[in-house]
Amino acid sequence: MKEVLADLAGALTPLSVRGLQQECEERLRKVPNAINEFGFDGYGMSPEWLRRVALPGILLYRWYFRVETFDIERLPHGRMLLIANHAGQLPFDGVMLAASLLLEAEPPRIARAMGEYWIPRLPWVSVALARAGTLVGTPENCVHMLENGECVMVFPEGVRGINKPFPQRYQLQHFGTGFMRLALQTRAPIVPVAIIGSEEQQPGLVNLKGVGRLLGMPAFPITLGFPWLGPLGILPLPVKYRIYFGAPLHFEGEASDEDAVIEEKVEQVKRAVADLIERGLRERERVFT
Amino acid sequence: MEKVLITGIAGGQGRLLARRLLENFEVCGVDRVAWEGHPREVAVHAVDLRKKRFEDVIRTEQPTVVVHMGFIRHFRAGASMRHDVNVRGTKQLLDHCVNHGVQSLVVLSSSYVYGAFPENPYYMDEDSPLSASRSYPEIRDLVEVDTLASAFLWRYPHIRTCVLRPANVLGYYVHSMIGQYLREPRVPTVMGFDPMMQFIHEEDLSEAIALALEHGLQGVFNVTGPGEVPLHTAIRETGGRALPMPEPIMRPLFDRLFRWGLISYPPGAIDYLKYPITVAGDRFVEATNFRPLFSLEEIFQSLRR
Repeated sequence: MKEVLADLAGALTPLSVRGLQQECEERLRKVPNAINEFGFDGYGMSPEWLRRVALPGILLYRWYFRVETFDIERLPHGRMLLIANHAGQLPFDGVMLAASLLLEAEPPRIARAMGEYWIPRLPWVSVALARAGTLVGTPENCVHMLENGECVMVFPEGVRGINKPFPQRYQLQHFGTGFMRLALQTRAPIVPVAIIGSEEQQPGLVNLKGVGRLLGMPAFPITLGFPWLGPLGILPLPVKYRIYFGAPLHFEGEASDEDAVIEEKVEQVKRAVADLIERGLRERERVFT
Repeated sequence: MEKVLITGIAGGQGRLLARRLLENFEVCGVDRVAWEGHPREVAVHAVDLRKKRFEDVIRTEQPTVVVHMGFIRHFRAGASMRHDVNVRGTKQLLDHCVNHGVQSLVVLSSSYVYGAFPENPYYMDEDSPLSASRSYPEIRDLVEVDTLASAFLWRYPHIRTCVLRPANVLGYYVHSMIGQYLREPRVPTVMGFDPMMQFIHEEDLSEAIALALEHGLQGVFNVTGPGEVPLHTAIRETGGRALPMPEPIMRPLFDRLFRWGLISYPPGAIDYLKYPITVAGDRFVEATNFRPLFSLEEIFQSLRR
C-alpha cells in the first residue's frame, strides 16, 4: 500500500519538483558532517530525515521567495558564526539562510540554529528541529558545535528584531553580546549576513507584548494579515529574498573581557551587517521582483 | 601482586570485571548474593556492606585496591531499602578504606546523576551539576553516592580515588535499568520525543575500569562508548517494538502501576525518555587512551532476542 502511494505520488509530481528533490539529495550527500552508521550526527541531525522534509523549504526557496545570494563563496571552511538581521514575524529568514547554505555553498553546509530553551519540551517539534540540526541555544552547545567545525547561525536581535513593526524595517535593533564571547572563545570567524526581503514579508503593525505574556508566547504581533485573516494571515507575502554574505571578520581578545570591550567588537559586526543591508537596499529596485 | 576487592562482584558487571582483573590482580569480592561457579582463584564473600562482617572481610583480605559497584539499581526491594544499601553501604566502605590501608578506589557512578532536562547541553563535562534528584527523586541515592565519593576524593588525597560516570551500559551479562527496559516485549516511549542516548558495552566498561586502575586515575570522569543514537533507533536495533504513549496518560499510569508494584520504572524515569543526557568522555580518553572496542551495532546485537 505504502509503495503504491509512493509510486502514485512520484507519478503525479511534476518533473521540475523531482529535479529539485534530486538536487537536494545530491547536496545532502556532500555535507562535511560526520554521520554515524545509523544516519545521525552527534547532535541528532539526520540528512536522511532532511531529505524527506526539505522539499517544502526548497519550493519556498526557489519558487516563492526566489532567493538570490550574493558573495556566498566568501564563506570560510570549517567553523563559523553567521550573524544576520532578523525580521518578518515568523523565522522564514532563518529557513531561507539555511537553505542557501545547503543549495548554494561549496561544500554544502548544514546551518545550525540555536533554539529557544522551551523547544525541547514540545512533542514532535523538538524531534523535528533536532533532526534538522537545531540545538538548545546554551553557550555550551554553541561552543561544542563551533569546536566541531560547524556553521552556527545567530540572530543577535532575537525577538526584538523578528517582531518589530513595519516602520522600523531594516533598522537593526540592539545586538546581544553572547555571540562575540563565543566567537572569541572558539576563535571562530564571524560572517555578517544581510537578508533583504524578509522585512517586508509580514508587515507588523504593533506587538502586543502583554497579550503575548498572558498566552506564554514570546510576542503577540498584530500584522496586516494576522489575526484578521485567521490561519491564512500568518502566510508571508511573496517578497523576493536577497541574501548578502560579507567578508569573514576575525576578532582577537579574551572571551572574559569587560562588556565595554566586547560591545565595541559587537558594534563592528553590527556596522558590517548594516553596510550589507544598505548595499542590498540600494541595489534592489522592487520589493516583489 | 596487588589485591583488589570488588563490591557487587556477583552482578553481571562485577563478574566481567573480576575476570578482566585476574590478569593483573589477586581478586576477591563481596556481594549480598552468592556467585555460583565463580573462578577458583576468586574469593567471594556473601556479606552486606552495611554489616560489621564486611569490615571483617576487609581486615582479613587486606586489599590495596577497591572497586565499588555494589549498588541496587532496581526498585524491586523498595526505594528506602535501595537508598539505605547504596548510601550507607558506600559510607561504610569509604570509612573502611581509610582505616584499612586501601590505596586506590574506583567508584562506579553513572551519567544519570546529571539528570535529564530540556535545557541540557549536549556532551556535558564532569563539572556539570548533578541535578538528577530534581526530576527523578527515586534515584537520589545515586547522586548521594557520587557526592560522597567526590567529597572523599578531596578529603583523602593520599588515597587515589576515581569516580566513573559511564553512559548507558548494555550487554549480555549486565543487569542495567536501560537493558531491562530495552528487553521489554513492548518498549514504552513518550509520544513525540526521541532523545539521543549514548551507549557503552559492558566489556568496554570493564576495560575502562581496569585502565583507570592501571593509570592510577584520581578524579571524576565520564566514560563514553562508540557513540549515540535516538532512543527509537536503539529500540529498533535491539529487536524491540516501541509503544509510544501520550505523556498525559503515561505519567499517571506509571505513577499508579509503580506504586502498586506492577512495574519497576518510577514515573521520574519518564524524563529520561524525553530529554537527552549526553556526556563528554574526552577527559577519560586523554588520561587513559581508552578506545571502546564494541561498535553501536555490536552493542545492540548483544541484546537481540
